[in-house]
Amino acid sequence: MRRVAVTPVRVSGAALLAIAAAMLLSAVVAVIDGGGAASGLLVASLITTSVGAGLFYGSKVSPTADSALAFASVAWSWVAVSVAGALPFLLTGVIPWVRFDDALFESVSGFTCTGSTILSDFSSVPQGLLFFRSMTQWLGGMGLIVLAVAVLPALGIGGLELIASESPGPTADRLSLKVRDTARRLWLLYGAATVLIAGCLLAAGMSIFDAATHAFTTVATGGYSTYGDSIAHFDSILVEAILILGMLYCGANFSTHWHAATEGVGAYRRVSEIRWYLWIIFSAFALLVWVNAGELQWTENLRDSLFYAVSLGTSTGFGTSDYMAWMPAAQVMLLVLMLIGGMSGSTAGGMKVLRLQVVFRYAFRELLRARHPKAVIPIRMGRSTIEEQIAAKAVGFVLLYLGLIVVGGIILAGLGVDPVTAFSGSVSALGNAGPALGEAGPTNNFLVFPRAGRAVLMSLMAFGRLEVFPAMLMLVASLRGVSQIRRHREQLS
Amino acid sequence: MTPRPPVRAAAPALVQRLTIKIFTGSGSLIQRLSKGKIESAIGVTVGAVWVLCAPLFFICAIADFIDGGSDYLPLLIAGIAVEGAGLMVVRLSNFPSTLPVARLFAAVVSGALAALFAVTVAHLATGVAATLDVAVVEAAATITGTNATTIEPESFSLGMMLFRALGQWLAAAAIIVVLVRVLPHLGVGGLDADGGVATRSARRLAPRSGSTMARLMTLYIGLTGLFAIAYFAAGMPLTDSVIHSFTTLSSGGFSTRSGSIGSFESGAVEWVAIIGMLVAGTSLPLMFRALRRGDLHRFVRSIEFRAYLGLVTVVVISILAWSDGWPTLTSVRYAIFVTASAISTTGYLSGSSQILPFGGEALLLVLMLIGGMSASVAGGFKVMRFMVLGQYIGRELRLSIHRSAVEKIHLGRSSIGETALARIIGELFLATMIIVPTVLIFASDGLGVEGAFTFAISSISNVGIAFGAAWPLGHLNSMGAIGHLTAALLMVVGRVSITPVLVALGGIGEPMQRSLRRWRLTRHEGTVR
Repeated sequence: MRRVAVTPVRVSGAALLAIAAAMLLSAVVAVIDGGGAASGLLVASLITTSVGAGLFYGSKVSPTADSALAFASVAWSWVAVSVAGALPFLLTGVIPWVRFDDALFESVSGFTCTGSTILSDFSSVPQGLLFFRSMTQWLGGMGLIVLAVAVLPALGIGGLELIASESPGPTADRLSLKVRDTARRLWLLYGAATVLIAGCLLAAGMSIFDAATHAFTTVATGGYSTYGDSIAHFDSILVEAILILGMLYCGANFSTHWHAATEGVGAYRRVSEIRWYLWIIFSAFALLVWVNAGELQWTENLRDSLFYAVSLGTSTGFGTSDYMAWMPAAQVMLLVLMLIGGMSGSTAGGMKVLRLQVVFRYAFRELLRARHPKAVIPIRMGRSTIEEQIAAKAVGFVLLYLGLIVVGGIILAGLGVDPVTAFSGSVSALGNAGPALGEAGPTNNFLVFPRAGRAVLMSLMAFGRLEVFPAMLMLVASLRGVSQIRRHREQLS
Repeated sequence: MTPRPPVRAAAPALVQRLTIKIFTGSGSLIQRLSKGKIESAIGVTVGAVWVLCAPLFFICAIADFIDGGSDYLPLLIAGIAVEGAGLMVVRLSNFPSTLPVARLFAAVVSGALAALFAVTVAHLATGVAATLDVAVVEAAATITGTNATTIEPESFSLGMMLFRALGQWLAAAAIIVVLVRVLPHLGVGGLDADGGVATRSARRLAPRSGSTMARLMTLYIGLTGLFAIAYFAAGMPLTDSVIHSFTTLSSGGFSTRSGSIGSFESGAVEWVAIIGMLVAGTSLPLMFRALRRGDLHRFVRSIEFRAYLGLVTVVVISILAWSDGWPTLTSVRYAIFVTASAISTTGYLSGSSQILPFGGEALLLVLMLIGGMSASVAGGFKVMRFMVLGQYIGRELRLSIHRSAVEKIHLGRSSIGETALARIIGELFLATMIIVPTVLIFASDGLGVEGAFTFAISSISNVGIAFGAAWPLGHLNSMGAIGHLTAALLMVVGRVSITPVLVALGGIGEPMQRSLRRWRLTRHEGTVR
């Protein structure tokens, strides 16, 4: 068989095969549960497998590999899995075919670890599908990245380009000289964290199904729950404490976790970002407690403030109460947390703490330069100095990020959504947080947005998950790829 | 192509000569007075501001006396006190032999604070402000050209109304001085001759800054007179015409009536206000060159002006498209009015009772943040800076593909230096860092999420009107003392620019920083020994 040398097609095929495996596993869960949806999941799995296999085996890796190609591969594989992920919702009949875009929304929200949902009646959704829904977040978090990196050596392209473009965060810390080893280690850590959280939740009194699904979405900092009222359903301090620790752990850099696991806890002390990360969450918690002091009982205040500070500070989006009943200042604080997000190199979304650090140093440096115009002042982070190019990239990212929030907010408001819901929805979608403010609070679903608005939110989620730049470059690189193929054909003819 | 000869006219020449006389006269007066022993730029600036703004008190006292108002005596006494304090401070101070940038910034900030103090005294002395925080925020709105108030304009005497309007006008005139003398040190935003951004709209008119200032002031005075006549011709009463021409051209926004321009219920008045606001948001040097040479094509050649008008057009069309029903003449005028009011950061209100669509609100908020053209008297971050940021983002995207490429950012024919670029970005981030905590303060002091967010942006851009439950002007009334003082601070920071304020504050903290650094470096010395 003659195979076309298009790397994005090959990577997309591999990703689809992974999703098909997840669908198959969910079908098994559905069979055990007996609540239906097994056939729908099986059919979805078969379709995805055949398309994935066709793409994977029908193409080969391009002989030349550059960063644009890597960006395109990552972005198109995300598009492919998002479309495939919508199939189970449609084939099980939970979402009718006429609302295909809603199924796509649920899938995109899952794979981007956002956690925004359009489902309202969770009791009527089969458990097999809820399991798949949680798996989309787990795969979408770090698992999919690591899987993609693990198969890259087989694909034959330099995987580091890919991990740099895909791993959530501005830096890709090489844990090993070989990309395959790095991926394997991260995957191991990711899996171990999932098992540990699931075990703890099980011990805290959750059922196996709930423990597994919530562990999936905690480790991915996704926030999908199997209940409409999210974590409030369990009404257990122990469950909330486990989830808080889990979210805090998974919102931090996985490379640092690996270093800490192998070299000792001292590894955390060397990273200034982790201090900022914890400081931001703790400050937000303190501020929330202070602002809500007159509104809530103190035990409830401490419990809910801590949970939401961590849940939105790590862009997870689990909920224990309706924060829309809180004071406006508390809501503003939660919005700031959604904007910042977790640490780089973690599964969390948002702008990332590291970039905030860079931007803060950058602005401070300019202030110093205004005072001492001839001074040469480097940008320092902890004990190291950041190169101008890296700082410029981080600054460019933040500007583009803020610009996208504004553009998204304007479009949503133009579609008739009130400004608070529109802009907070834009912040939440781009930061992959989940709930927003206004009408899209934690107790409501995203059907409050019009159909076109949900399409905008989907795009924002994808932009946020792909760290904006790769997503923007996806089209550029794809166009270039198409012209390369055309040129190649012309040469052959 | 040979440049067109300048247009000669008697009236502008006379105004220019007068302006130069006032400039040189007040300059030499301050120089003669400042022969004290303390060498301090801050002292001279504070003294000069008080000495030079005292006549404002006297003019308004006379106007109030003629009108039969009750505020002439408090204004007179306050004016004498301010003049006396100014003379004392300026007599004790002396011009320093050298003036580093940091001290220049400190002088500018202290000048703004001195003006704030003087205007606060006037509000307290006349009793229009019951408490200190209200007086401070009213004074801040006056000196920064922000249309935010807690008091119904109808309750003011003529003297006080004129004082506030003239205060806004003079503050904008002071901005022209800052544009020429101070902002070039920031690299952008002013009339730049230091290798930063020198686009067509922000270029010096003459090698000497004094001549440039005089020319710009002539234009400013001339336009104010022209619009006073236009308002009058459109059917506004004489006093209202004069007061509104002051607050239109300065992009201040104070009105004689609580319903703002809309109270006059006249389409012609609204059209005059629209043109006035758009003029206030246009670059003064660009206007001067175009009008002097009679070459209106200069406007078309300016890339920033094209972007400015382009923004207005896009927003007007969007508001009309998102509104219910087909556009009518009234709805078109309303859309243009609110757009001009937002982009020029004037904050006037139209009389039309049209409901603004949600999308329109969002766009107007963005326009408030963007503000007018560089080297205009409008507030906001300025159109040019956003254009530069757009170019920067585009470059970073391109560099992600072509990593080793070297690309320079251009705006029209002007090339933007990396230093200027970094300063623009730094300024934006600093503004964001200031806005976020103030939103939190506003939200905890009585405003809702939307009100807090929009009022913070409106305050830092010196607009005044904001959205939310308290739309359009009820935000200050919804807050307490902390909110008032924070809003006042935000207005001043927005007007003076963030960097000078922070650099001036840094100057206070620098000795502390130095000792802290020394302590850090030497704290382990004992254990090593």
